[in-house]
Amino acid sequence: MSTQSATKPLSVKSASELLRMEGVRKTFPGVVALDGVDFDLRRGEVHVLLGENGAGKSTLIKMLSGAHRPDGGRILVDGSPVRIHGAQDAERLGIATIYQEFNLVPDLSVAENIFLGRQPRRLGLIDRKTMNARAAELLARVGVDVSPTDRVRELGIARLQMVEIAKALSLDARVLIMDEPTAVLTTEEVDKLFRIVRALRADGVGIVFITHHLEEIAALGDRVTVLRDGRSVTQVPAATEQDELVRLMVGRSIEQQYPRERTAPAAGTAAAVPLLKVEGLTRRGSFQDISFEVRAGEVVGLAGLVGAGRTEVVRAVFGADPYDSGTVRVLGKRLPGRDVNAAMDAGIGLVPEDRKGQGLVLDASVHENLGLVTLRRATRAGLVDRAGQRRAAARISEQLAVRMAGLDQRVRTLSGGNQQKVVIGKWLLADSKVLILDEPTRGIDVGAKVEIYQLINELTASGHAVLMISSDLPEVLGMSDRVLVMAQGRIAGELGAQEATQDAVMALAVKDIKGVTEDVKEMEGSRGH
Amino acid sequence: MNPKKIVAAAAVVASLALTTTACNSSSGSSDIKVGLSVSTLNNPFFVQMKEGAQAEAKAAGVDLTVTDAQNDASQQANQMQNFLSQNVKSIIINPVDSDAASPSVKSANKADVPVVAADRGVTRGDIATTVASDNVAGGKLAAKTLAQQLGGKGTILVLQGTAGTSASRERGQGFAEGLKAYPDIKVVAKQPADFDRAKGLDVTTNLLQAHSKITGIFAENDEMALGAIKALGSKAGKSVKVVGFDGTPDGLKAVEAGTLAATVAQQPKELGKLAVKNAVALAKGKKVDPMVKVPVKVVTGK
Amino acid sequence: MATDTLKTSNAHQSPKAPGGSAVLRRVLLDNGALSALVVLVGVMSLMSGDFLTTQNLLNVGVQAAVTAILAFGVTFVIVSAGIDLSVGSVAALSATVLAWSATSQGLPVWLAVILAVGTGILCGLVSGALISFGKLPPFIATLAMLSIGRGLALVISQGSPIEIPESVARLGDTLGGWLPVPVIVMIAMGLITGAVLARTYSGRAMYAIGGNEEAARLSGIRVKRQKLVIYALSGGFAAIAGIVLASRLASAQPQAAVGYELDAIAAVVIGGASLSGGVGKASGTLIGALILAVLRNGLNLLSVSAFWQQVVIGVVIALAVLVDSLRRRA
Repeated sequence: MSTQSATKPLSVKSASELLRMEGVRKTFPGVVALDGVDFDLRRGEVHVLLGENGAGKSTLIKMLSGAHRPDGGRILVDGSPVRIHGAQDAERLGIATIYQEFNLVPDLSVAENIFLGRQPRRLGLIDRKTMNARAAELLARVGVDVSPTDRVRELGIARLQMVEIAKALSLDARVLIMDEPTAVLTTEEVDKLFRIVRALRADGVGIVFITHHLEEIAALGDRVTVLRDGRSVTQVPAATEQDELVRLMVGRSIEQQYPRERTAPAAGTAAAVPLLKVEGLTRRGSFQDISFEVRAGEVVGLAGLVGAGRTEVVRAVFGADPYDSGTVRVLGKRLPGRDVNAAMDAGIGLVPEDRKGQGLVLDASVHENLGLVTLRRATRAGLVDRAGQRRAAARISEQLAVRMAGLDQRVRTLSGGNQQKVVIGKWLLADSKVLILDEPTRGIDVGAKVEIYQLINELTASGHAVLMISSDLPEVLGMSDRVLVMAQGRIAGELGAQEATQDAVMALAVKDIKGVTEDVKEMEGSRGH
Repeated sequence: MNPKKIVAAAAVVASLALTTTACNSSSGSSDIKVGLSVSTLNNPFFVQMKEGAQAEAKAAGVDLTVTDAQNDASQQANQMQNFLSQNVKSIIINPVDSDAASPSVKSANKADVPVVAADRGVTRGDIATTVASDNVAGGKLAAKTLAQQLGGKGTILVLQGTAGTSASRERGQGFAEGLKAYPDIKVVAKQPADFDRAKGLDVTTNLLQAHSKITGIFAENDEMALGAIKALGSKAGKSVKVVGFDGTPDGLKAVEAGTLAATVAQQPKELGKLAVKNAVALAKGKKVDPMVKVPVKVVTGK
Repeated sequence: MATDTLKTSNAHQSPKAPGGSAVLRRVLLDNGALSALVVLVGVMSLMSGDFLTTQNLLNVGVQAAVTAILAFGVTFVIVSAGIDLSVGSVAALSATVLAWSATSQGLPVWLAVILAVGTGILCGLVSGALISFGKLPPFIATLAMLSIGRGLALVISQGSPIEIPESVARLGDTLGGWLPVPVIVMIAMGLITGAVLARTYSGRAMYAIGGNEEAARLSGIRVKRQKLVIYALSGGFAAIAGIVLASRLASAQPQAAVGYELDAIAAVVIGGASLSGGVGKASGTLIGALILAVLRNGLNLLSVSAFWQQVVIGVVIALAVLVDSLRRRA
C-alpha cells in the first residue's frame, strides 16, 4: 500500500507541494462563485480554509473532488496540471473529501461502506473475511471503537465521521478535505478528531480543513487562506489573532461577538409575564419531569451534551412529538399534546435543528418558504392571497437582510446563514410570541451569526421570548438571560446570567442523574410479563 | 386507533371476503368436482362462457369451481395447481397463453386428471379435447360477408386486436385468406386498437382523416367495431359497412339497429356448456372427441 | 445552478424587454415538453398531409381529453410526492356507477352524475386515509384501490357494458357542430387544476408537502388532512374522466381505461413534474397528454405497424423526459 511509503518520517523538506490552484474561476448563472482563487497545499500540513458562508469555500472543495469544473485557471497536482472531471479522477489523484452530509449507506455495515464499490472479491463473490479484516485495520488506525460489521445506521454522528475518515484512508488519500468536521461534535469528540488529524499530518497527508470555530485554527492549523466574496484575500499563519481573522474574513471588525442587550425584567417582578410554562413534561425513555418557564422579553438557553434530550423536549413542547405526561401552557392556556397547529396558534414557533431536513422546502423559492407558516392565515375561502404573501415576504427578507438574487431564488442555492434567516423569517411573519431556536447558528458564518443575535435582541425588546438550544457554550452564555442545563433527560439545574460560566454549565451537564435510563429498563422488563 | 386492532379488523374483513367469494364460485354439491380456470372475467365474452359453463354444471349436478386468472399466465398456473390439490376429477382451462399453459397441463397429466382446453388450444401436454370456435374459419366468413355487403369491391380498413394474441392472429389470417377471392377489395390501412372500444373509436377517427373514402371496416372484435361505428357517426351502416366479430349483446343490438352490417357470432355460452359437458364425460371415464368445434355464425340485419 | 424555470416565471429575467421571437425562443428553451410537442407536430405535419387539418387537430384534442383529465388529478398527487395507480379503475367504476344508477336503477341523470363523482371522491378518500392514517405507502394503497375499483365495476355491471342515458352521451358530442365537448371539459379541468395548484391553500400545501413533508408539518400544514384532499381530488378527476370516456362511447364499460393510470403518470412526468415531488404544473401535464395523443394519432395516419407503435411510443416518452432533464442540468 502506498500509505506505507508515506509513513516514513518526513524531512525538513516537508514543504514539498502536493496541490496548487491558480486563478481558479467558477460562475453559476447570475453568480460569480469564485473569481481568481489561489490556493496551495503541502505534504503534512493542515491548511485551514476560512470564510463566511457564500465566500466560495464549498465551490472550491467541490472542484477538488470533481463535483464542479473550473471555468478558468488551473489545478496542479505534484506540479503538473490535471483535470478533475468526476469522483473517479479525484480518487485516482488521491484526493478524498468528507462532506458535512456523510456519503454513507445506512443499512450496510461499516466495512461495506468503507469499501463500497471496491469490495475485495474472491471468485466474483465479496470476500467478507478479507474486507472485515482490512476495515478493522483502518478503523484501528483511526482509533475508533467500531466493529467492521456494525450497521452504519446504528452509529452516532461522531463515529460516522470516523468511518468516513477510514474510508478516505482506504483510498490511500494524500489530500484529505474536511468540510466543517467539528460542527456537529462535542468537545470530547473534537479532541479525538484532532488527534487523528495530527496523526495523519505526521504521516504526510495534506489536509484542507474548513471550520467556523476560530479557536480550532490555532489549535490544529498550520496556515490559513481567507476567502471573501469568491476571492482569496490573503494567506496568514494559523497563529494569527482571532480578531484579526474575523476582520479578514468579513472585511470589517465585529465589535462584540455576543451583543446581547438584556431587556428582561428581573425574575419575580410584576412585569415578568410567563409566556410559556412547562410542568412535569415526561416521555418515557427520552426525558422526565421537565419544568421551566420562559417570560416575555427573555432569552432562556438550554444547554447540555448532545443526547441529553434537549431537542426531544422542545419538539414535544411544540407538539411535533408526543409526550406521556405533564403540561405545556402558553399564557396560562393549556395546549393539547402532539398538535403543531395548536402550538402555533398559541404563538409558539420552532426553528428546528435540522435546517435542511425539517426547516425548509429546499427546491421551493424564498417567498414560498417565508409564506409557509402564514399560508393558512392568508387564505380566504380556500384561495391564497399570493400578492399579499409576496409583499410580506419582500418586507421580511429586507428586514432580515437575506442575501439573494430575488424572492424567486430557490432556497437550496442560498448560503447556510441566509437559509436560516428564511426559517426564522417565516415565524416572524406569523408573529410568534415564543420562538424556539434549536442550534440556530450551527454551520453559519460569523457575520450572519451576529445578525441573528441582533434579531434575538430586537425580538426580546419587543416583548417576545426566545428559548434557545445551543451546543456552542460561549454562545449560550453570551446570549442567555438564564441557562437551563439538561443531563440524561432531566433538568440538572438552572443558572442565572451572572453565575453561568463554562465550568458551572459543564459541571451540571455531566451530572449523573439516576432516572430515565433506569425507567427504560424497568419498562422493558415489565413488558415481558 | 391501535395498530393491532386495525390489523385484526383487516384480517377479519379479508377472511370474510375470501369465504364469500369461495361460496360464490362453487355451485352444486356432488362427488364430481370440476375446475374451470378462465383467462379473464374482464371481458363479456368470457363472462358469458362462464355462465354457460355454470348452467351446464348445475344441470348435470356437478360441483364446478371457477377461478379468474386475470390475464396472468402465472396466476393461472397457480390456480391449476390448486385444482389438483383439491382433487378435481377434470379441469377446463381457458388459457391465458397457449404456450405458458403447457407445464400446468403436463402436471395434470401426471396426476391423471383429464384436461379440456376451452376457446384457445394448449401447445404441449395431453389435452383430452379442445373446445373452440374456429377463429380462422370465422375470419374467412367475415371476409365473405363484408365482400357481399360491398358488392365485391371497395376500400376497407382493418382494426386489429391486441398485437400478439392468437385471436387477433387467427382472425386476421382467416380474413386475409378469405379476401383473396375478392381482388377488387383493397385494404388501405391495418391498425391495432387492442380489442378496446375507446381505442377503436380513436383509431378509426384518425384513419378517417387519411382515408376518408373508405366503404368498409373489418374489426377483429365487436368492441372495436362499436368504437368504429361511433367514429363513423351517420355513415355507419350507410356508406360504410362495418363487420365485427364475437356477437356480444351490444354487437347484436347494433346489428339490429343497422349500424353494424354483420358480426361473426361466437357462441360463448355454448362453448362453456360444451366444455363442461366434455369435462364431465371425461370425469366419468368416457371417451370424447379430441376436437370439438363450436360453430360460428354470421348474424346480419337482413 | 439549475434554474427552476417551471416555477419561477418572472424570476431574474434579463432587464431588456425581449422581442416576440426571443420570447418564443425563451419559452421553448425553458420548457422541454413544449419544445418536444412542437417538434413532434412539425415532424407529423411533414410526414402526413392529413395531420395538420383543423378536424384532425380537434380529434387529437378529443383523444387527449380522457388522459389529460386523469393526468390533472394525478398532478396533484405527484406534486405532493405521492403516486396514484388507481385512476383508470376509478374512472371505469365511476362511469359504471353512473350508467347503472341512471339506466338500471332509473335515478335522474343529475343524481347519477353526482353519485358517480361521489364514488370517485370516495375512492380517493379511502386511498388517502390508508396513506395518511394507515401509513401505507401510496404505491400500495392505490394499487389496492386499482384492484378494488376494477372489481367493483365488474360486480356492479356483471361484467357487461351498460348503456348510458342520452343526455350524458351528448357530452361526447360537439357544440355548434364542431367544438367537441370533451375538449371543453379538458380545458375547464385544466384551468381548475392550474387555479388549485397556484391559488389555493391546498395547492400550495401540495408543493410544500412534496418538497419536504417534515418541514411542511412543522410549519403547521395539516399534512394528513391535505393528503385526504389530494387523493380525493385525484379520485374526483378520475370520475369526470370516466364520465367523458363513457359519454364518447355512449356506454359504460367495466373493462374501460385499463392501463390509463400509466398514461396519466407519463403525461404528468413528460410535462416536467418530478416523481420525487414539489414540482409540476397543469400546463405541463396538458402538454404531456397532448404529446401522447399526437403520437398515437400520427402513428395511425402513417400506418405504422402494430408492433412498432409500442416501441415508438416508449422511445418518445423517454426522449421527452430526457430532453427536459438535460436542459435542466445544463
